[in-house]
Amino acid sequence: MAGSGHAPLRQSEDTILEVKDLAVEFRVGRREVVHAVSGISFDIVEGETLGIVGESGCGKSTVARSIVRLNEVAGGSVRYLDHDLATLSGEALRALRPDLQMIFQDPISSLNPRRKVREVITEGLVIWGDGHGIWSQDRIDELMQTVGIDPAFGDRRVHQFSGGQAQRIGIARALALDPKVLICDEPVSALDVSVQAQILNLLEDMKQRYGLTVLFISHDLSVVKNVSDRILVMYLGKACEVGNADLLYEQPRHPYTRALLASIPQPAPTVDPSEGNIDGEIPSPINPPTGCRFRTRCLSATSVCSSQEPQMQQIGDGDHYVACHHPVVITPRKGD
Amino acid sequence: MVTQLSVRDLCVRFPTSRGVVEAVNGVTFSLEKGAMLGIVGESGSGKSVTAKALMNLLPRTAEINGEVRFDGEDVRALAAVGRKHFWGVKMTMVFQDPMTSLNPVKKCGEQIAETLRYHLGYDKRAAMEAATDLLEQVGIPEPGKRVHQYPHQLSGGLRQRVVIAMALACEPDLLIADEPTTAVDVTVQKRILDLLDSLRKERGMSMILITHDLGVARGRCDDVAVMYAGRIVERAATETLFDRSRHPYTGALLRSIPRIDQPSHARLDPIPGRPPELIAPPVQCAFAPRCHYAQADCLELVPKTEGIGESHEFACHHPANTANGRESLAANAAAGVTVTGLKIGDGTER
Amino acid sequence: MTKAGVLRQPDDNEGPGVVGRTLGRPFWIAIGWLGLLTVLALFASWLPIEDPNKVGAGGPRLGPSFSHFFGTDALGRDVFARTIFGARISLLVGFLAIAFGIVVGGGLGIIAGYFRGITDQVISFCFFTLLSFPALVLALLITATIDRNQWTVSFTLGILAVASVGRLSRANTIVFAEREFVQAARVLGANSRRIITHELLPNVMIPMGALALLGMGIAIVAEGSLAFLGLSVEGDAVSWGKSIVDGSQARDLDKNPNVALFPIGVMFLTVLALNYAGDRVREYFDVRETAF
Repeated sequence: MAGSGHAPLRQSEDTILEVKDLAVEFRVGRREVVHAVSGISFDIVEGETLGIVGESGCGKSTVARSIVRLNEVAGGSVRYLDHDLATLSGEALRALRPDLQMIFQDPISSLNPRRKVREVITEGLVIWGDGHGIWSQDRIDELMQTVGIDPAFGDRRVHQFSGGQAQRIGIARALALDPKVLICDEPVSALDVSVQAQILNLLEDMKQRYGLTVLFISHDLSVVKNVSDRILVMYLGKACEVGNADLLYEQPRHPYTRALLASIPQPAPTVDPSEGNIDGEIPSPINPPTGCRFRTRCLSATSVCSSQEPQMQQIGDGDHYVACHHPVVITPRKGD
Repeated sequence: MVTQLSVRDLCVRFPTSRGVVEAVNGVTFSLEKGAMLGIVGESGSGKSVTAKALMNLLPRTAEINGEVRFDGEDVRALAAVGRKHFWGVKMTMVFQDPMTSLNPVKKCGEQIAETLRYHLGYDKRAAMEAATDLLEQVGIPEPGKRVHQYPHQLSGGLRQRVVIAMALACEPDLLIADEPTTAVDVTVQKRILDLLDSLRKERGMSMILITHDLGVARGRCDDVAVMYAGRIVERAATETLFDRSRHPYTGALLRSIPRIDQPSHARLDPIPGRPPELIAPPVQCAFAPRCHYAQADCLELVPKTEGIGESHEFACHHPANTANGRESLAANAAAGVTVTGLKIGDGTER
Repeated sequence: MTKAGVLRQPDDNEGPGVVGRTLGRPFWIAIGWLGLLTVLALFASWLPIEDPNKVGAGGPRLGPSFSHFFGTDALGRDVFARTIFGARISLLVGFLAIAFGIVVGGGLGIIAGYFRGITDQVISFCFFTLLSFPALVLALLITATIDRNQWTVSFTLGILAVASVGRLSRANTIVFAEREFVQAARVLGANSRRIITHELLPNVMIPMGALALLGMGIAIVAEGSLAFLGLSVEGDAVSWGKSIVDGSQARDLDKNPNVALFPIGVMFLTVLALNYAGDRVREYFDVRETAF
């Protein structure tokens, strides 16, 4: 399966997670296959937050879930330290689970509603028993306070809590296992606006406090920019652009990235609002366009875009890579 | 300016097994013909219930009080004859999730045609032709083909356009859009909002846009009303609201949202706590427990709305951007805590 | 004084659902009836009633009287005694059949729904086959080869229950296995056994509990049907089905319907109680959100 290339991979000593040519397919009906993810490559260095942003159907959630093997991987590798999570199975895979924990999108449904708060938070510890260090009641209380849940509520049942509080419980549950990597799949999308900021701050605090490496998935461009060091933009299973968060939003090069930034209600000052008027519909992932998958809606598309899939290439001098045959030229603004 | 819709003291209560929920608690506003009003609020603010109350879509158990006048006429006192062809004709609604607002076993064209036949007495063929025409007006490519398709054969964005077409079929004077773009992608969102904008201007329609997204309201609405705990806490022309808000909730909400022009890892300024329960609300300002301006009177008296009828209304005892408010804020900051026990951090302006 | 962020905490004493939080008095009346019947059936041997099989305990075909509450049948056997002793068999068969169905069918359903793949295909195929068999043919086949006592009759009905219960449990499992909290458990490192017992079982079993009561009613009536075909318990054993059959000769129905009607009445009330209780249980545990 053609991927977008490995240029953005930094091959650093501190790389914790390296995904190479990840491909995920789902069978629908008798013969049709949904190409959810087709050749994504990226790496995350220890202590870094990588944000993956894109619209629905782009495969970002699938990437997150594939890393923890919630679905099967059709191709490529997911290297965590010395192991390839994509090919491990059984006990070997399970043994690594405490290191990679996940925060889910819908906080209410990601917790068993009939459980008590304390039971939910300590579930991981119960599963792993002594092998992972039994935490005393005090340490659990401390963890609860850290995430902002009053320990006195430990015996209440989950279904009595609001969305924001439930998400805090979910965060506590993930942190109880002392993970190295935290994968957040749209963790604030289901929450009220005024609560989102609380949870985002909390995640940032937890990251600092526990020295976490974070993969953050979201469709919300502002949220992703706020939490990430680096950002990867996805479209229809492919990577379009990746790089340092500030740099990428300052100088978006891929027409799709620019369209996204131009479409939000308060468009970024770095793009023209008219760039958001991309035509047409998202093509079907069962029969994605050849070459560059965005070409059917791209105003800059030419014949090479349909015959050759663009590879990731560095653009400029900084941490910025684009997979596009005609990346947008940025005219430097006055004073740059 | 002619008034299209005038709402006075609208109250909606629901009996539940836990008590009576005061979902909407005295909402008053008016809408000029051809204008676009944005109603912004989080879940539990009462914005959707207000919309449904206006559209007569609430369950029978709901207790509704207050006055709603459309074109001067008291809508709630309409006789059966008048009711039948009012909602859906003069005043229509677009809902949040297009997948559930469309009947999955009926073709799209048929659903639009149904409205025309029922309300305007079209015959079958004329209705289908009009339906196809409407699909074209809402920007659906190949309308002749789409009119015979089922909802599941269309993408989310196209489905939402079908719903809009249905709402516009009988040429309403007022369109209420309840979170019309929450369930669709951001690129589609822009186009749907653009579409609503252009249709509104073409037809001289009034619109109420309900959303939780302040950014959406800012770009499109003439006036914006902010709701909290069943009340309108502030209403002003859009730019005034965003630049010179008076109610602490509005300001706090604006400051808590991550913005694209902030650098990565910018610290956010969340509103502490969470929205209140609406069962047997205490007689006080509902926002007080989360407000940095709160003083003793905020716990005793529900703030009255000032500036009604003028261009900027708000309901607050110690509004922001006023001398009164600044004093209250400073006093709280000095004490390190408000009268509700809310701790003030580092004295930053809220 | 309201504390910031804690304006109102929901009371821990609030029940699992919002709708139908109490079971209601009729529910307890139904339970009362079932309880009474069970006690009578259990202690039947020690109660001052006639031997149900004693021929000529009273004159033949007597109507209800103080010495024979339900009258007597053609052979002079006390119908009341036959009804009480019949309750033993009928209730036992009803209970065992559905218990077997739930344990075996429910268990297989969960395994099929969780593991999917080839396991699911094999188990589903078995369910399918069982369901395709005309129930009576199956009953005939089983009972033709072995003795017909309360255990084998229960087993026969149980086998039939396995398929229906199994399909329900499989469907529920599939729904729950997709829920995020199950995926969350897997990410935490739970193995399949723990996920099945801790996450899926409690959630799938709740609707099963309601089904159990309803199913018991169905099984009791089914036993009656088997009795009509002569496929119920043999020999001296008494069941409601057999009592009803005994009283259903044309001549008896005409002249002294009490022989059939009393057992029918008791069976009817029992099944009604089971149906009602089952429905109330289902509603009670059905947690719904208020929508407004």
